[in-house]
Amino acid sequence: MKRIVVIGGGLAGLVAATKLAGGGSSVTLVSEGLGGLQLSQGTIDVYGYNPGRVRAPMAAVAGAPAVHPYARIGTSAVRDGVAFLQDALGTGWLVGDPEVNLQLPTALGVLRPTALVPPSMAAGQAQAGQRWAIVGFRQLKDFGAELVAGNLARAELSRGGRIEARPIVLDLPPRSGESDASGLVYARAFDDPAFRERVVAALRPLLDGETAVGFPAVLGLTDPEAWTALRDALGVPVFEIPLPPPGIPGMRLGRRLTAVAKQRGVRFLAGSRAIGHEADGLRLTGVVVGTAATPRRLRADDVVYAPGGFESGAITVDSRWGIRERLFGLPLAGLDDIDRLITDEYWDDPQSVFSVGVGVDAAMRPVRSDGSVVYENLFAIGGILAGACRWREKSGEGIALGSAMAACRAIEAG
Amino acid sequence: MTRMSADLVVIGGGVTGAGVARDAAMRGFRTILVERADIAQGTSGRFHGLLHSGARYVVADPRSAMECAEESAILRRIQAEAIEDTGGYFVQFAGDDPDYADRWVESARAIGLPFEEIDVAELLRREPRVNPSAQRAMHVADGSVDGWRLAWGAVDSAKAYGAKVLSYLEVCGIEVTDGQASAVRCRDRRTDAEVVIDTGFVINAAGPWAGRIAALAGCGEVEVVPGRGVMLAVGHRLVHSTVNRLAVPGDGDLIVPAHTVSIIGTTDVRADDPDQLWIPRVEVQQMLDAGERLVPGFRQARIVHAWAGARPLVKDARASGTDTRHLSRGMVILDHASRDGVRGLLTVIGGKLTTYRLMAKGLVDLMCEQLGDPRPCTTDTEPVPGSESGHTHQVSQRLRDRENDRLTEQLLCECELVTRRMFTDALHENPDASLDDLRRQLRLGMGSCQGGFCSTRAAAVACAEGERSAAEASDALRLFLSNRWLGLWPILQGDQLRQAVLDNWIISGTLDAEHLPVASSGSRR
Repeated sequence: MKRIVVIGGGLAGLVAATKLAGGGSSVTLVSEGLGGLQLSQGTIDVYGYNPGRVRAPMAAVAGAPAVHPYARIGTSAVRDGVAFLQDALGTGWLVGDPEVNLQLPTALGVLRPTALVPPSMAAGQAQAGQRWAIVGFRQLKDFGAELVAGNLARAELSRGGRIEARPIVLDLPPRSGESDASGLVYARAFDDPAFRERVVAALRPLLDGETAVGFPAVLGLTDPEAWTALRDALGVPVFEIPLPPPGIPGMRLGRRLTAVAKQRGVRFLAGSRAIGHEADGLRLTGVVVGTAATPRRLRADDVVYAPGGFESGAITVDSRWGIRERLFGLPLAGLDDIDRLITDEYWDDPQSVFSVGVGVDAAMRPVRSDGSVVYENLFAIGGILAGACRWREKSGEGIALGSAMAACRAIEAG
Repeated sequence: MTRMSADLVVIGGGVTGAGVARDAAMRGFRTILVERADIAQGTSGRFHGLLHSGARYVVADPRSAMECAEESAILRRIQAEAIEDTGGYFVQFAGDDPDYADRWVESARAIGLPFEEIDVAELLRREPRVNPSAQRAMHVADGSVDGWRLAWGAVDSAKAYGAKVLSYLEVCGIEVTDGQASAVRCRDRRTDAEVVIDTGFVINAAGPWAGRIAALAGCGEVEVVPGRGVMLAVGHRLVHSTVNRLAVPGDGDLIVPAHTVSIIGTTDVRADDPDQLWIPRVEVQQMLDAGERLVPGFRQARIVHAWAGARPLVKDARASGTDTRHLSRGMVILDHASRDGVRGLLTVIGGKLTTYRLMAKGLVDLMCEQLGDPRPCTTDTEPVPGSESGHTHQVSQRLRDRENDRLTEQLLCECELVTRRMFTDALHENPDASLDDLRRQLRLGMGSCQGGFCSTRAAAVACAEGERSAAEASDALRLFLSNRWLGLWPILQGDQLRQAVLDNWIISGTLDAEHLPVASSGSRR
């Protein structure tokens, strides 16, 4: 039985660990924090902009430029990754199709392309002639219903036509007397049928034959029926609109995936930072983890490295603009003079520094600029990969899933 | 076209102009101040925040030192709200010339500047992060001052005495009739409307832009060279008091605790254009090195923002026209009557923020003299609105306020503890203000996340309050974020780069803000 250490508890790490454990390996997942899904909007973005708006994400994956991680990952791994995730989560967790992008509203009222979404978001697919009510809460500051509705109402749909949208703001704290509540507090309140009843009672008289009602994505944290109960009580389609972190839809996915991974035998070493590694020539033999009491050595036949990029601290920039991969000192691709990596222009081009990361071969093994492999049994996946500005492109989950699959294939074949 | 009239038109809404407007209004002159942008958006808001005790000038310029000592004491009385009484240290470190410290002590004693020499061990007890190579330490009465609050305090006082203060009004002409300045022509930068102000006197306090203004009255060869200074803010307070090197004043030799941050400054490089102030990375590195000398480990601290200010330096071809009898040092007054044959026009350039009140007094005294209408100055005795209590600002003030209203108020900006009510009050009071204008009053978006979380909330609230349409709020958000970026991109590294990536995740990834419909027609804010 292979011993595999997965470093990183975001989407890429969770999926790789689940897949490998399901294939019979002994998998330990080491995570320092809660993983990126805590911050995530909970959609599966495959390719949203390249840089124009993408209608067919898989076609865009197939045509990705040579420096892009998709050029190494390939379409079949992305398709497999999406299918594996849907299967692992079970029915009712994701709807959509990696071949076609949906256009769903953001908490600024922009119609954002994404491929698969929780069913609770699906009714937000914009179509001409719809009449939406956008419901905010006075006590939830990360969702301004007036701004969302105002921007939706002035949006020209890509296939022509417009949506009507009007704001409704409820003065309804999730807990009595609370004037400043986070999305998480609201999500927990929506798990409670009594709170949902209060929302319905306040909202129903204000609705006026709208075709759908948009809510901030806080319709329940643990109760998967919270949003359907609300929809049924209101008698109108309901959709969720993701907020800035904490990302409730991402947290739901994270919780579910963690449970599935545990079912399949993944051992979790949470709250533990990987602080070193052991190697024998071109092969890693173990990972050193800074657990609470003492550094601990985990033996490994293969190591899957899914730590995220700059946002998690896996790649660091020092005060003299030296850019490094923290744990293995991996060579980085996309490096350039700092004046070209970070420029003064905010809106036009994405900052090139966001695309700096680890270059890999088709098996997702980190490689040097000459193409030589750093370690034969080290696989880098997800946000650490070079060549994509994930958030500008809306490609983060597709890269995470595709690279996880590509790495799993190589490990399982090896 | 709108036509107004005034006894005095002040051009420039920095502290100098605001101080002149206040002084003149208090003496009963009908005064209008015009400012091209927002109050204190230029040099007065782009410095290190040091309220000089005078200690910095003790050796080189004892008279300036005493002026600073007197004026900073006056400002603590009349503008307490803008000042944090931090105290400060002048510290000689290993490698600094020990003779300088001796000269400093001798000179400080000679002019009677209050100071106390303390043991290095005591210094390090009070300021544990200061470089332990310290050899000698002098405690002085330095403070930390908010340039925006200082200017706004003077503006509010001027308004209370009947002055009009008009921002976003750009001067495009000064009419001279029979050798006498007679009117100022302006354009409203928001509406494009023309505004003409008939007046008997003009004081040009446009700082680095003063040469251009003087030229509008036909007074040439007022060459003002902007001296660019770069400053960095660290996201927390490294020191409790200001810390200066006890050495010949140079670049990057002081750290000022200001609100929630610490500021290191500054470089000094000649620039070509005060509207195009670059923040070169080499100067960022220079400030990081300088910080490291004062506070070891400075390079590991979180640098949250950088900015550049333009010191106005005068290269006047006809220095004989300079009249400094009435005035604070370090500044130049050009009397265009004697210099260019244009009566009723004074240009003021330079000076120190700490002595702005004294400069304003000197200017208005000179105006009174030229008008043959002597009226006494009273700006040193009366607190400006908001400072009546005489309590200086404390860094913990907002935390205390939030403790009191935490159950009823929503925080829009967690970093700087700005509530929704503070924001909406400021917005209703300044309905035409940009988010950056409101930032300068509230510190919205000036903390660690640099607007990553609060900017969209602020835009949404402006829309919810009916002060902005969705299109205007979206444009305002886009402008605010790109303006924040101007002070971010040159310094991004370490934790702040990590923050910028998270902000990119939120703003671009989750919200897709770059695809907001842009530049709606008719949006002016």
